[in-house]
Amino acid sequence: MRIVVCVKQVLDPEIPARDFQVDRQTKEAIQGLAAMVVNPYDENAIEVALQLKGNQKDRTVSALTLGAEPCEKALRHVLAMGCDEAIWLKDACWKELDSFGIAKVLAKGIRQMGNIDLVLCGRQAGDWDMGQVGPLIAGELSLPCVPLVYQINLEQDRLVLKREMDRGVEILEGRMPLLATITSASSNQPRYPTVKGLVLAGRKKIPIWSNQDLQITERIDRLVTVEDLIIPQYERQVRIIDGETGAEKATSLAKLLVEMKLLT
Amino acid sequence: MPTLEVLGMARKIADKTGAQIAVALLGAEVSSFHRELIGSGADVVYVTENKDLADYQANIYVRAFGNIVERIKPDLIIFPGDGTGKDLAPRVAYGLKSGLVMDCIDFEVEGKDFTFIKPVYGGKAIARMKVTTPVALITVRPKTQEPFPRDMNRTGDQIIVEAEFASPLLDTKVLERIEEEGEEINLEDSEVVVSGGRGLGNSESFKQLRHLAKILNGAVGASRPAVDQGWIAPSCQVGQTGKIVTPSVYFAIGISGASQHLAGMIGSKFIVAINRDPEAPILKIANLGIVDDYREVLPTLIDELSRITGK
Repeated sequence: MRIVVCVKQVLDPEIPARDFQVDRQTKEAIQGLAAMVVNPYDENAIEVALQLKGNQKDRTVSALTLGAEPCEKALRHVLAMGCDEAIWLKDACWKELDSFGIAKVLAKGIRQMGNIDLVLCGRQAGDWDMGQVGPLIAGELSLPCVPLVYQINLEQDRLVLKREMDRGVEILEGRMPLLATITSASSNQPRYPTVKGLVLAGRKKIPIWSNQDLQITERIDRLVTVEDLIIPQYERQVRIIDGETGAEKATSLAKLLVEMKLLT
Repeated sequence: MPTLEVLGMARKIADKTGAQIAVALLGAEVSSFHRELIGSGADVVYVTENKDLADYQANIYVRAFGNIVERIKPDLIIFPGDGTGKDLAPRVAYGLKSGLVMDCIDFEVEGKDFTFIKPVYGGKAIARMKVTTPVALITVRPKTQEPFPRDMNRTGDQIIVEAEFASPLLDTKVLERIEEEGEEINLEDSEVVVSGGRGLGNSESFKQLRHLAKILNGAVGASRPAVDQGWIAPSCQVGQTGKIVTPSVYFAIGISGASQHLAGMIGSKFIVAINRDPEAPILKIANLGIVDDYREVLPTLIDELSRITGK
């Protein structure tokens, strides 16, 4: 079984709002001191893939990333987690792609990789929060798309997928090949790379494929453009409650809630 | 209700542009909803009824929806930002080779020239975006739009669109659906929400939050890290990829205030935060804050409020 996980490197979504800045000319976030990390939902996807692979030698997990120079770090990280290979789609002409364009290029990359049984994508990326690329890749490759999956098992020749619904869980059976978008759950918290993993990852060759390697001849236009990027200001005057002990503060809080008529 | 919110937004667009608002209604037996949809702002309702549409299955819904879109030839297609909408929208966008902006919270329009406003970077920034294709698609974040005030005197046509689905279109089979053992009070409708985060440390601590919620007739919520640790049910998750809530009072306990969580509760009218880290971002956006370990604060808070409310 061959599994591909699409991985995006993004600005660390955990950086607090106070450290976050944007460049209004380029309409991009400013990296500043923040780290570039593997998109958290993509890490969950890698974890789902690695759990599905288990110890089976005939199951492989490949990571596929589209991006510029800083991506190497992300690729080494997912290799260190245990991916069998990582492929880098890199070309300057892809700098301005939107979700549609990214899906097109990733789909070409997946086709170029040969017979793939399962494609996994994080449900959305922590930068533009669109959540379209997974379903659009499924469209490009004519694959069934199962959204918000958090666990996948193989039973005989079928995949059994557990997915999140608005109020509960749905368990489905699907035939390969298919695509699933992955959400986080307690069962798929990403594993930390081992030291051995890091060493091996450092030595692995990462194939780099360009626009020409993928034989993309048509121009890929943006279907969606960014007009402006601004940081909203929240106006709340916070009042910190004083007190010697937690108990004292609690008493003050209770009084205030009553005074302000906030309790039903 | 996401559909009614979206209709409210559509009516606002209609007010500015004179556009006609059509609703695509899909299901097994749904034509009876026609009157309510017209009363809630639709000008015309296109209905496809088919037993294969009883439950949402992407392939069939995309096909049925595509049929209706071909009839209407819209300039803008709006989906509610619920699970179904967020799944269907990209697939329809792919079929139409048209631009899609997900999770919109507002719009601007001049004639047919739309600008869509959407939170990005977990809500740390707001992007203004345009679609370059003749047809634009959007999903709308729940709880950001006002429903249209229902007017059952409104009139509008119902147009039946027949569809037959060559079987099998189903490429996955549902084996089981498990309704969650959720909390008692519905999170999205509650006037008071008591939420816990990573700072709680374990699932036991949520008992205290449930107790507090009970005294206040509120619902229990959580941040994603608490849910991912398995401390509380996923349906309690408040945040960008969880529920969006707008209660009168929101208690954030042991929650740092990561932007993805704020996205889900920043619309709360009043925010009380308890966190032992004075630098926690939640303390910058709350109305009232206590910088302390929640274990030192909650027991007394519960006792006091219990005494005051008599619960």
